[in-house]
Amino acid sequence: MAGSALRRLMAEYKQLTLDPPEGIVAGPVSEDNFFEWEALIAGPEGTCFEGGVFPARLLFPPDYPLSPPKMKFTCDMFHPNIFADGRVCISILHAPGDDPMGYELSAERWSPVQSVEKILLSVVSMLAEPNAESGANVDAAIMWRERREEFNEIAKRLVRKTLGIPS
Amino acid sequence: MDKIEQNDGTNRDELIMQQQREIEKEISDSTPLVSEQLPITCLNAEYLGDEVFTSKIQDLAGKYKFLRRTRPDGNCFFRAFAYAYLEHLISNKDEYLRFKDLAEKSKDKLVQLGFPSFTLEDFHDTFMEVVKRVDPASGSTDQVCDELHKVFNEQGYSDYVVVYLRLLTSGKLQEEADFYQHFIEGNFTIEEFRHQEVEPMYKESDHIHIIALCTALGVGVRVEYMDRGDTHVKAHDFPEGSTPKVFLIYRPGHYDILYPN
Repeated sequence: MAGSALRRLMAEYKQLTLDPPEGIVAGPVSEDNFFEWEALIAGPEGTCFEGGVFPARLLFPPDYPLSPPKMKFTCDMFHPNIFADGRVCISILHAPGDDPMGYELSAERWSPVQSVEKILLSVVSMLAEPNAESGANVDAAIMWRERREEFNEIAKRLVRKTLGIPS
Repeated sequence: MDKIEQNDGTNRDELIMQQQREIEKEISDSTPLVSEQLPITCLNAEYLGDEVFTSKIQDLAGKYKFLRRTRPDGNCFFRAFAYAYLEHLISNKDEYLRFKDLAEKSKDKLVQLGFPSFTLEDFHDTFMEVVKRVDPASGSTDQVCDELHKVFNEQGYSDYVVVYLRLLTSGKLQEEADFYQHFIEGNFTIEEFRHQEVEPMYKESDHIHIIALCTALGVGVRVEYMDRGDTHVKAHDFPEGSTPKVFLIYRPGHYDILYPN
């Protein structure tokens, strides 16, 4: 089983290296372990996260791609759909039926024909357009809805932090 | 993975789900993906003292000589169908060639329907590898049947066959969305139904999955329904009026393979 997972992960890595989507770099942390990846995601232009480069880890299960990976930002994040410990909470990282956040029926879910690229593109969309209805971070969701200015300030501080610029 | 699992109270739902998955996994792992042939009467042990089911098992035993169990992991219909049909093909060379050709061409069709060619390829390649491994010309019927049994109990191959059949089913639903839309209950669109109930692993199959897959592959299936109603098992052929090549028994929530007399 892990054999087919490894084959698939190697193919996905090759594809992402040859034809990387804009603003995304991703690959295994080490050549010895294809089941743990690091990704760097550029904050989408025209949003409060613009200019930042956000590092994250992806952990793949032995039965990937039958089951989805887990994803966690390794930098400080403040976002309605990211838990305080960095775990990303979006529908594509869950199979249907696994519904910790009560996602909408139409929300995109994990299936074996999805890919790392699709996940990372969804994460970019999530940064650009938070879903304040399914709050993994309730404080961030409330602030996003009710005190946008304050939210944007925090985001800008996080952007400077990822670039190593003192705030 | 422990680091990511660390919880902070907000994560309780995920923990409960994980625990539930572990329990389900423990049950399913104790059953082989596909069992050896068993006498029909092996079902009796599950319904001791139950008159309705005992009488139905007797009825079933009059028409079928063996049963082959499949692992109850939500994929049982697809796994049972694939095993039983490929087994049928081992002694039907012309139909094997027809099916191999159809399977070969199915990938391009799915790509045309909008499936991502990059991720589809792996599943199609593995599916074709399995189809070729059970080529009736590759050995005696017994040898090829042994090979089939072996490959279906290797999780990597067995699960990829299930994935590919799910994709073929999903493709058929999309191709004839206007028709299949009528069979969908609730507020699902065909698109949502395909992504939520067909493509993901471990999601159970309903009539609509069976009809779409049988139609896509041109293969008739007879399902014997064994539930609390009546005293006899009830047979249903998919698509209606077809000549069945695959025989399955359905008990609420689960499909196994049957062998007619």
